[in-house]
This record gives sequence, C-alpha cells and structure tokens, in this order.
Amino acid sequence: MARFCIIGERIHFISPVIREAMLARDPGPVIQRAKEQLDAGADYLDVNIGPAESGGEELMKWAVRLLQDEFNNVPLCLDTANSKAIEAGISVYDRSRGKPIVNSADAGERIANIDLAADNDAIVLALCSKAGVPADNDERMLYCQELLERGMERGMDPEDMWFDPLFLVIKGMQEKLPDVLEAIRMLSDMGLKTTGGLSNISNGMPKQIRPIMDSAMIAMAMQSGLTSAIINPCDQRMMETIKSCDVIRGNILYADSYLEV
Amino acid sequence: MALKGLDIFKLTPKTNCKDCGVPTCMAFAMKVAQGALLADACPHLSAEAIAQLSAATAPPMRSVTIGSGENSHTLGGETVLMRHDKTFVSKCLSAVALRDDQDEETLAGLLATAAELDYERIGERMTTDMLAVVHTKSDAATYAALVGRAQSAGRTLLLDCTDEAAARAALEVCAANKPVLNGATPENFTAFQALATEFEVALGVRANSLQELYDTVVALEGQGAQQLLLDVGTASVKEAFANAVQIRRGALSNGLRSLGYPSIVNVAALAPGNPHLAAALASLFTLKYGSIIVLERLDFALSLPLHGLRQNIFTDPQKPMKVEPGIYPLNGADENAICATTCDFALTYFMVSGELERSGVPVNLLISDAGGYSVLTSWAAGKFTASSIAAFINEQNIAEKVSNRTLVIPGKVAVLKGELEEKLPEWTIKVGPNEAIQLVKYMREVTGGVANG
Amino acid sequence: MANVFEKQVFASSIGTLEIGTGEQRLVIGGGNTWPLYAFDGEPDAAAATPGTAPATAAAPAPGTDAAAAAPAAAATAAAAATQKSTSLLCSAAPPRVGLQISDLGSEGLDAAVASFYADCADVPAMAVKAAAVPGVEFIALAFDGANPAGANKAVEECVALAQAVAQVCPLPLVVAGSGNSEKDSALFEKIAEALEGENVLFVSAKEENYKAVGAAVALAWNQKLAAESAVDINLAKQLNLLLGQLGVKNESLAMNVGCAVAGYGFEYVVSTMERVKSTALTQADASLQMPIITPVGADAWNVKESLAEEADYPQWGPREERGIQMEVVTAAACLAAGSDAVILLHPTAATTIATLVELLIIGGSPGKSDLPGFNLKGGE
Repeated sequence: MARFCIIGERIHFISPVIREAMLARDPGPVIQRAKEQLDAGADYLDVNIGPAESGGEELMKWAVRLLQDEFNNVPLCLDTANSKAIEAGISVYDRSRGKPIVNSADAGERIANIDLAADNDAIVLALCSKAGVPADNDERMLYCQELLERGMERGMDPEDMWFDPLFLVIKGMQEKLPDVLEAIRMLSDMGLKTTGGLSNISNGMPKQIRPIMDSAMIAMAMQSGLTSAIINPCDQRMMETIKSCDVIRGNILYADSYLEV
Repeated sequence: MALKGLDIFKLTPKTNCKDCGVPTCMAFAMKVAQGALLADACPHLSAEAIAQLSAATAPPMRSVTIGSGENSHTLGGETVLMRHDKTFVSKCLSAVALRDDQDEETLAGLLATAAELDYERIGERMTTDMLAVVHTKSDAATYAALVGRAQSAGRTLLLDCTDEAAARAALEVCAANKPVLNGATPENFTAFQALATEFEVALGVRANSLQELYDTVVALEGQGAQQLLLDVGTASVKEAFANAVQIRRGALSNGLRSLGYPSIVNVAALAPGNPHLAAALASLFTLKYGSIIVLERLDFALSLPLHGLRQNIFTDPQKPMKVEPGIYPLNGADENAICATTCDFALTYFMVSGELERSGVPVNLLISDAGGYSVLTSWAAGKFTASSIAAFINEQNIAEKVSNRTLVIPGKVAVLKGELEEKLPEWTIKVGPNEAIQLVKYMREVTGGVANG
Repeated sequence: MANVFEKQVFASSIGTLEIGTGEQRLVIGGGNTWPLYAFDGEPDAAAATPGTAPATAAAPAPGTDAAAAAPAAAATAAAAATQKSTSLLCSAAPPRVGLQISDLGSEGLDAAVASFYADCADVPAMAVKAAAVPGVEFIALAFDGANPAGANKAVEECVALAQAVAQVCPLPLVVAGSGNSEKDSALFEKIAEALEGENVLFVSAKEENYKAVGAAVALAWNQKLAAESAVDINLAKQLNLLLGQLGVKNESLAMNVGCAVAGYGFEYVVSTMERVKSTALTQADASLQMPIITPVGADAWNVKESLAEEADYPQWGPREERGIQMEVVTAAACLAAGSDAVILLHPTAATTIATLVELLIIGGSPGKSDLPGFNLKGGE
C-alpha cells in the first residue's frame, strides 16, 4: 500500500493574488504559494490557470517551467478546461520525479482528456460524472466503467487513472455523503486509485469549522480506501490526520517523531 | 491470490446487459471479487475466463506430502514471502546424501552420524529428516541395494536418480516409504511421471534453466501431475539461489501456478568438501525458500545452529514458543542444589538457563506453565504469580524431589516475594537480578562463591 | 509464455555509507534490490549464465597458514572490493564482512578465536593479521576493556590504542563501544577526535547517548555512526529521525537494528530486518534507508552451543567447530534478511561468509575443480 498522495490546491486562478501574478507573469506570488505547500508536505502541486481560453498554452508552459525550475522538477497536476494548454504544459514538463497529472476528464464532454493522458503517458483525474452530480452509485460506477474502458482501450495502465467520486458539499447535500464514502470503497475494492477535491465538503461553513470537518472526512475517506486528495497542505490539522491515518493503515512506519517528517 | 475487481472486469464482456442481475459489468466484477456472486452468474463469460477465475482462487503453492507413518512430512503450502506477513507453514527438511560411489567406510559413517543425531529442542525432534540416495553410475541392483540399506535407517528417502531402470529398481524396494523420486528431466519426464504414478510418489523435476524447468512442469501438469518438487539446480550457487527465489516469488507474487511447488536444494553438490560454506548455504536456503536441503554431512556442529534457526523461522508469529513445565537440573544439580524459577517463554528459558550454566553453580530451574510469555508479560497476564508458582511447586511435589528450600525469583517480579513467602512458608525466597546476564555474578554470590557443591 | 524471470527492482534505493579513506575506501549498502538478489539487478543474459569465473581466489584455511598468505590476501581483498563494484550493473555494493578484535587482545576473545592471534605481540599486530584474512574488508576494534564493570580502562589509554591500530591497519576501521552507553559517549568523542580524517564508523549510538555521540562523532569530527536499537523497528526509525534532527546527514549513518543468535529468538531479527528493508525499498521511507550493519560474532560465541566443552557434551564434537558454525549460520541468515554488513569473530567464519557473498553476487562454483580458491576445508 502506497503512502497517501497529497496534491496541493493553492495555486488557483480563482485567487486574486495568483490571477494577477499569472496574468503579469510575476513569479513571486506563485513561487511563494508553491514553497509554502511543499514545506507543508505536498507531493504534487495543482496548477490551475482558469479557463484560459486565450493564451492558455503560453501561460501553462510558463507556470510549469517556473515551478519545475525553482523546485527541482516538482511533479505537477495541470488544471484547466483548455486541453491544448494542458498538452502545452506537458510538452515542457520534466517527469523525473513523477508523471504529469491531467486535471481532468469526465464521462461527458471532457472524455477526450483520457486520450490526451494516454497519448502523453500521463496520469488522469477521472470524474465519475457526466453532466452534474450522479444520482446514485450505480450511475457513478457506470461512468467509472466508461472512463476505465476508454483508458484501457488506449493502452493506459489503470494505475494511472485516479477516479474522483465527487466530494459533495455537506451544506446542501448532506444525505449524499454516505454515498461518496461507499463509492470510494467500491473503487478501492476494484483495485482502482482515487482522489478528489475533498475540501468541497465544507464549502460555506464557518472558517474555524472547515479544518475540523475536512479532517474527519479525510480520515473516513482514507478508511474507505482513498489514495489521494487535492487539498490545502497548509491545513495543519488535516496534514496531521493524514499522517496519522497513514500510520494506522500501515503506509508509514510509526516513529515518535512521525509528524515532523 | 485474491483477485481484484479490476482483474475480473477485464474478463467481462463490458456490455452492461444486466443478464447477471446487476446493472453494470463493473458492479458485477465487484460482487464476484467480494464473493457475493459466482462468476458463472454471467452467461457471457467464456469457459476460459471462468477457468481462469476459479484457478485464481486456488492456493498459490501446493502442499506435497512425502514419507510415511511417523516420518510423514508436508512441504509447501506457503502463502507469503516474508514470515512477518503471516507465517511460514511447512518447515524445511534436512537430508543427508548417500552416494553409490562412496566407499563402505564413508557410507557406514554417514549412517551412524544420522542415527546419532537425534535430540529434542523445545518440543521438536531434531534429526536427519531424510536420506538422499544419489545415483551416479552404478547398476540398478547395486543402487537398489543402497536404497534398501538407507530405508532401514527409518528416515524418509529422496531418490536422486535420472536413470529409469535404477529408479524402478529402487522404487520396488522402498515405495512404501513414500520417497521423493527426484529425477524428472526435460528428456525423461514422461517415463518418470509414469514411474511416480505407478508407485504413488512425489516427483522431483530438474532442468538446465528456470525457463526449461517451468516448461517441463507445464508439460507434466498437462499429463496430470500434481505432486511435484522443483530442483533449483547445481550449476552454481548464484543460479541455485536465483532459482529458489524466483520460483517462490513467481508462485506467490506473480501468479505463476506452475512454479507453486516445494523446492529441492542440493547443498551437497553446491559446496562439496566445505562444511562451513555448506552451513552458510543451508542457513540462506532455510530463510529463502528451500523445502528439502540436501547436505553432504549433518553433525551436531551444524544441526545445533541450523535447526535452532529453522525452529525460529517456522514458528507461527501468533503463537509463543514455550518450553515444557518441569524441573531442569543444571550443572549436575541434585536434590541439594538451590532452586530458581522463570517463565516458560522459550527465549527467556534459553537466556536464563544459558547464564545459569555459565555460572557453574548447580541449580534446579523450575519452569511452570506461564502461557509462553516473557516474565513481565506473563506476570501482567496473571500467569506467573505467587499462586501459580506455589501451585506448581505443590503439584509437582518439588518438596519431595528437592531438599534445598531456597528459591530465586526473577528481579522483575520482586513484588512476588512477600506473597510467595506466605504461600510457601518453608521456603526462603530470594530476589534475583533483573537481567539474565547478571545471573553469573549473582549465583556465585548467593551460593557463597562455590562453583560446585 | 509466462516470463519466469520477472525482476523485482524498487523505485527507492538503500543509501550508501563510505568508510575508510583513499585506496581502502569501502562502500556499504546502496542498490534498489534486496542485498543478495544480484539476479534482480542484472540483465537476463547475465543472470542465466552459470559459472562466471570468481573474481578473487580465497587463500587456504585461516587458522592454519594464514600468516603466509597474508600479503597476497590483502591484495586480493582490495582487488575484490573494486571488482565487485564494477562487475555489477546494479548499484548495490555486495554485503561486507568485517572481523572484530578486542582492545583486551587475546583476553577479550574466546580462546578458540584467540589461538589464531597467538603469534601477535599486541593489538595492532592482531589488526594487521585480521586484515589479511581472505574476504575481510574492514576491522572492528571493540573497546571491551573500557567497560566500567570490567577493566575500566581510561579514555586516554583507549585513544592511544585506537591510534596505534589505525596507523597499521590496512583496512577501514570500525570502532565498537564498551557496552556502557555513558562511557561510550566520552570514549567515542575522544577517539573520533584523535582519528579525524580517517572516516571511521562508530558502533553505536543508542537512545540513551545519541545526542552526545551524534554531536561529537558525526557533527564535530565528521566520522560515521551506526544507530543501534534492540530489534525494535519503530525505535530504529525514531533514532534515525532524532539523529537527523540533530543535524547528522543520512550519508553519515548506518543502522544496527539488533541481532540474536540462531535458535535464540532469531525470528524477531528476521522480521525486523526484512521490515526495515522492505519499508525502505517499497515505501521510500528515507529514515530507514541507511545500510544495516550487524555485529554477529560476539553473541554467537556466547551461547551454550559454542561455550559447552566437548568433555561435557562428547556427542557435540569440537567446540571451535560449533562456534564457527554458529557464527556462519547466524551471519548468513542476517544477510538473507537484509543486512548490508556483518561483523564476525572467527577468521574461518569471515572467509566463509565472504565466499558466500562472492558466490551469490559474482557467481562461480566451489564444486568445479577448475575454479581455484574455494577449497576452504576449514575445521578438519
């Protein structure tokens, strides 16, 4: 069993600081956010450049080069609706420390991103949805099957397909959360890897509540077999929970100082 | 090896036809993996796919039983590569080689040593488990005569023989012994399998390379063979070790069922004339996947460490190693010697008895049933208490067997002193040291520095 | 067709530890396969070729005329070190074999081992003789005499001896402690200072003294250090982390994860070593990737099977032979479980284990008459 994979989510176009820096090609804020996340223990960094309909290719290349040059070829998760921009990012990507991750494909309009990942020997985040939220887990597994078949037909190793069950927001869809956990369990039992934007569950909750809720969710999700998540690694409570869960599941060997590593 | 849903999914038609009663092929695969559905619930799976699925649920390494009566041994049946992952189930066996080109004096010596080496260690008989009778060039009658002689030694036999006529002659002599017939090669395997079937014995297979060995086993399996052992070869130490590891790993990790058989390691041929290198190899193959280890010679100097190692490696991690309760007189202790007690955990017993022996002081070591745990653990579990020690001393009539009335207890349970004095009023209870290593000094002091008497 | 020769190469590697200087520099550890699984680190063709000629010719039985063979053997030992590392495609160094001597001279050794050094006038002479034993690649000098419960030698006296041994010893040096953690802290500091630049490995830092020993040995004097734990994998990791937090680099560390003698709870040793190694290789856990060095000899000569006199157990045969076999069986099992180096006492045991390593890593066959050098009929 491999250690839990933490994808740092804080380089996101939605953040005004990052958006301005990206548009102005100002390395400072991007590097600072990257460093904070890596220091906190991120394995991968997500690079969200927004919809990037124009100039996305150049922007993604700039971001990939910037981060990999600065941080010893840190592995990256390329996050945009613009497939061409993802491909451009991969073209300048150094995979010595890990394959690039394509964020993301689904069973609907974005299913072609599976092909993109297959053609570029990349990992793909595969959302178990087509349009909107799946009604139940039968529907989730149907999409999962479509995505898996598409990848396998194109020669992908199922190990490189990380399935996202869709972490639904508690405030509004509380009754759906047991389904999410069950979906993770089913994917895990299949022998598939899983990931997702976990902190979505606490969207809209008071600031002081979110780390508590996120930590509880990640512990339960890891128990269900979750192998990765896109989260804020600077959330200390969450990181401590992940490390502790990894120890309990036997993915990390315990030592008294395990939190300090 | 448990199949993942993904492996099953790959075999399904992926049509989501729902004929199995489940909405998707993915869900079907998941249910089969969990055991909630049988694979044949899908009417569209090919016969080949169903065979593949049922084979995958069979154990990855066969168990092979050899020998008869009290010399019957089960080999193989392992499920893990490292003992801490679960446990090793079938201890390896030591065989001593008798060659038909050895002179009478050598053969007589080997048989005498084999008979002499027979002792008990923590409840397990340690001896020459098997005799391997090696055919080199003698005629069938001479070989069969040697086999007959070996058989009378009362050990399970291994016939190391690729000559069909000699093998038949030998089997006619010793088939009831249920020996291993180690002689199938890529050239003769059909004839040898016929022999093994006729005499109902397990068949050893050898070849010039691992690939050739694998192919030969597949061919043998095609003819219905099941009771097989794989000889790792004698071309070189390196190759023999590589084969032993790759055979076991292939079976347990890589799903190669045709490698899932016990192994035969011929250390006698790998390190001839070198008892130390033979010891090193025997140790290596005890840890790494030898099932029968054939030695040129097995004396006490080799058996003591090697069989001690084997006893350690093949213990079930869930079950503590225990020594039998009783009085263990050390250093020629008689009824006048001082008494000492400790728990029955084998490791503790060995540490304590070893140090007591080093002290040279005659002492009666009293071991009661303490559940097979260390001193503090058994004390905490209520299995090594003043009551249990006193009960043991009374039940075993220690007072009649030993006239000395001094009992040394482990320093770690010094707390028992008062209670023991109440329960055993005739006895003087002395608190020994905390660690076994301090016993030599302590025993000499407590008995007034007298080493004997 | 099934691929029978599936390799098992891990994504993570074991770290390397270098001891000694210049020509006699020795690498311990490394590689991304199990230590003895040379076949996993080579292309198929090489793995399938039997009978590759051995690189070194091990000299006649130690204990008989090893003195005569000394100069040649020293040369072959050096040749073996380079040949072993260049003839392999995988980056692992072959497991290393060291011979231990005592600061107490013959007094500090079992009589059966001491007889080998009968012609040595002093401890430095013993080091020279030990270094000439075929297959021996480093010398461990144990300061048994410094133990306060024993001879309680002064630190200055020990330092002088360490210097004298280092001056003449042609192989890298390992300094082993007194068995008393407090004394070792003082002792190691002064010896590390006196042997500055010699790149000596100190065995070991324990939970009780890692701060003092780590700061003095590894940080102040830039020597190498083994972290010792008693068959406890969590403590093994914790000690490495603590030394790391102290500022000691992983490249300066080895692990002594504890040992037991064959038959005496060795299953715990196997489980600990195998778990350390597999955690290092499969979980990429950098805090367990240091090479494992295991002192075997002293314990092996201290159990009943090796101590009991033949007069008391006539069936058991000569005592020396029993001690050698106890060392050999235990050491081979340590290597099989994942040790990268072992420290032995009897020269025959050391040569035997070195031969085993060579046969497993490089190849060759001791049974073929045309291959010289594997005719070690010791003990007869």
